[in-house]
Amino acid sequence: MKDATVDVPAIELRGIRKTFALSDDENAQRVLALDGIDLSIRQGEFLTIIGPSGCGKTTLLRIIASLILPDDGEVMVEGETVREPGLKRAMVFQTFGLFPWKTVIDNVMFPLQVRNEPAETARETAMHHIRQVGLDRFVDAYPHQLSGGMQQRVGLARALSTGADILLMDEPFGAIDAQTRELMQEELMRIWQEEQKTVVFITHDLDEAVLLADRVLLMSRGPGRVRETIPVELPRPRFDYDVRGHEGFAKVRGHLWQALRNDLVEQRAEETS
Amino acid sequence: MSARSRKDVRRDQLIGVAVFLVLWEVTARALDNPLTMPPISAILAALLDLILSGELFLALGQSIFLLIVGLIAATVIGFVFGALIARSQTAYWMLNPYFSALFVTPTIALVPLVLVWFGFGFPGRVIVVVLAAVVPILFSVASGLRDAPGDLIDVARSFGVKGEIPLLFTVRIRAALPVLMAGLRLAAGRGVVGMAVAETYLRLGGIGGLIKSYGAMFQTDYVFASILPLSLLGIGLVTLIARVERRLHWT
Amino acid sequence: MLATISKPRVLLPLLSLVVVVGGWELVGRSINPLLFAPPSVVAQQFAELLATGELQRAATITVQALFLGYALAVVAGIPFGIVMGAWERFGDILQPYLYAIFSTPRVVVVPLIIVWFGIGFEARLFLVFFWSAIAISVNTAQGVRHARPDLVEVARSYRANRVQMARHVLIPGAIPFVVAGLRIGAERAIVGVIIGEMFLQIVGLGGVIQKGSEELLPAKMLCAVVIIATLGTIIVTLLDTFEKRFQNWKGDAA
Ligand SMILES: Nc1ncnc2c1ncn2[C@@H]1O[C@H](COP(=O)(O)OP(=O)(O)OP(=O)(O)O)[C@@H](O)[C@H]1O
Ligand SMILES: [Mg+2]
Repeated sequence: MKDATVDVPAIELRGIRKTFALSDDENAQRVLALDGIDLSIRQGEFLTIIGPSGCGKTTLLRIIASLILPDDGEVMVEGETVREPGLKRAMVFQTFGLFPWKTVIDNVMFPLQVRNEPAETARETAMHHIRQVGLDRFVDAYPHQLSGGMQQRVGLARALSTGADILLMDEPFGAIDAQTRELMQEELMRIWQEEQKTVVFITHDLDEAVLLADRVLLMSRGPGRVRETIPVELPRPRFDYDVRGHEGFAKVRGHLWQALRNDLVEQRAEETS
Repeated sequence: MSARSRKDVRRDQLIGVAVFLVLWEVTARALDNPLTMPPISAILAALLDLILSGELFLALGQSIFLLIVGLIAATVIGFVFGALIARSQTAYWMLNPYFSALFVTPTIALVPLVLVWFGFGFPGRVIVVVLAAVVPILFSVASGLRDAPGDLIDVARSFGVKGEIPLLFTVRIRAALPVLMAGLRLAAGRGVVGMAVAETYLRLGGIGGLIKSYGAMFQTDYVFASILPLSLLGIGLVTLIARVERRLHWT
Repeated sequence: MLATISKPRVLLPLLSLVVVVGGWELVGRSINPLLFAPPSVVAQQFAELLATGELQRAATITVQALFLGYALAVVAGIPFGIVMGAWERFGDILQPYLYAIFSTPRVVVVPLIIVWFGIGFEARLFLVFFWSAIAISVNTAQGVRHARPDLVEVARSYRANRVQMARHVLIPGAIPFVVAGLRIGAERAIVGVIIGEMFLQIVGLGGVIQKGSEELLPAKMLCAVVIIATLGTIIVTLLDTFEKRFQNWKGDAA
């Protein structure tokens, strides 16, 4: 990271609004998915996003990735407005998004191939990141031969191989068993610190949200809004001690759960009335 | 990449059909060769004639009766052997090769044999339909019953369902229903072919016989007019089963 | 453990073959050897047909028409299917006709084929080619359209252009469908060639069956049926194996 740009936020969202049509029809009813999201994410920050199901987390992330465009508002990456996917952002998908017909190395090389990088350097870069996620022994394996945890490591290596400063992760560990998930969290922390990335990380898991974050963004449901952002000031590296036993952890987690719970209870009440 | 909306597709298809029919009519009139390409109007007139004379419904009735009896017989046989193959390794290794071979052998190649051995009365024709339709049912029964979810069987056992036969009826068949319906759908398609084959090989009535006799008289408009209801019968039956199938998919 | 399981597996089909052949021999012989064609009579007939060269000639004719018609169907069907899949509107408009033709039993189309193509080689070739090509096209089109949206999004997020999208996502994703189409097309081709030989030009293996039927010689028909069944089994098994190799490619997300 160059010093001159260090004050520019990695990502800035201004007044993001997004609606979806309920059917293909031109004049069909539209639902409001996101309503006026303003957000600024520091360079090198680890931001986790949590909120009730269907509140628009994925939509928000896809807008940040410019996979879809907002109805109103703008997305700025390192100070520049963006309207299509770019090299500074790389996405990690909940369902891994690996090509079943490509081996591990070819999957990781994919973004580099797309950029027409010479095969030699692309291979080297890909190998470096495959080693980084500890999959050197599976370079030539196909995704279906790997466990879920290993598949997501490939997804992570692929995102890293792009050299993007910003990682956008949509419930990346949601489909992975609890114990593997803890290992992956630890590894992600390590890589994040080594590589000084900015990370936007969506999760359903309260512990995970607090454990990883510099800041937790809590969304409220229908339409999606930022309810609050809570800084997490627990000492790092967090895997060297029993972070769950830390009183700061319990405080943030308790606060988040109260807020989420209120939201859910309200929703139940609406649904049953 | 965005999928086209159902409405757009419908509209395009309707326009397509209209254009197709008009083009056909115009070309056929220009060609003026009713033997190779009768105009649509002539085909419709033939269809009307077949309907009004009662010929079509009589033939269709015979065909449908044959088809239904054949499919029922195929289902019963398919069930018995399918269940056997699913539940017993020995039966599987002893019987499966024959059914696999039957599956890839064109039904039409077997019809002359059926004729010699069983004659071409109703039983012979039913046998042809069974030969055409039985294998998909059998295979679907076999795979459906073999892959029955072990956990559901355990649940049933824990609630006191005992013995293979009660388990078969309470859990296995119910769990296998979607697969069975898929097999039935395939079998219906093949059964219609078997029916047509049985009715065409010798002139023996039914819609196949109708087509064959008009073909022999080179009345192409009547050939088209009688193929149409046969195709609709096949498509209708398969669509109907596919509907039921979709409702059965609870996952 | 393995040995105790695999032994019966090899033996059981043989055992059942012995039972079936033996039973048939006994019953057939005691009722009417000519009509019920017990295996010994079939074997004798088989040897005779081989000696005169009739069977070899018939098989050659059948295989030639089959392979030529099928090859044409592959060459025409795949590109046509790609066009149908990529140009969705065209595919949507054509779909109902292809489906209707495909669902119509071919034996009833024979009168039309006679007035269009006569009863010669072209007519037989058409019977093999057309239905096979439809199967291949329709499946290919489905494959092209069936691109997994999550993978399309992955490629988009890494800024793949149209060509790269086709090369890395659409085409590999369509291959399992194409292969399935090739198998279904082959099944159709086999039936087509036999129908042509029994109803149009009485030649080939279908012709042997037809002649056997006229001469009231079930043994002769059975010789041809056995060869057709063997041919069909070999072709379909080969394509089945080929198809299985691509099954992982289809594997759904996660
Ligand atoms: N392509 C789309 N078309 C129509 N509606 C959509 C589309 N994508 C999202 N939505 C709607 O927008 C709202 C937000 O969806 P989104 O997937 O962003 O929620 P989420 O917070 O990621 O949910 P989850 O926690 O279940 O992943 C939902 O009501 C959803 O139904
Ligand atoms: Mg989501």
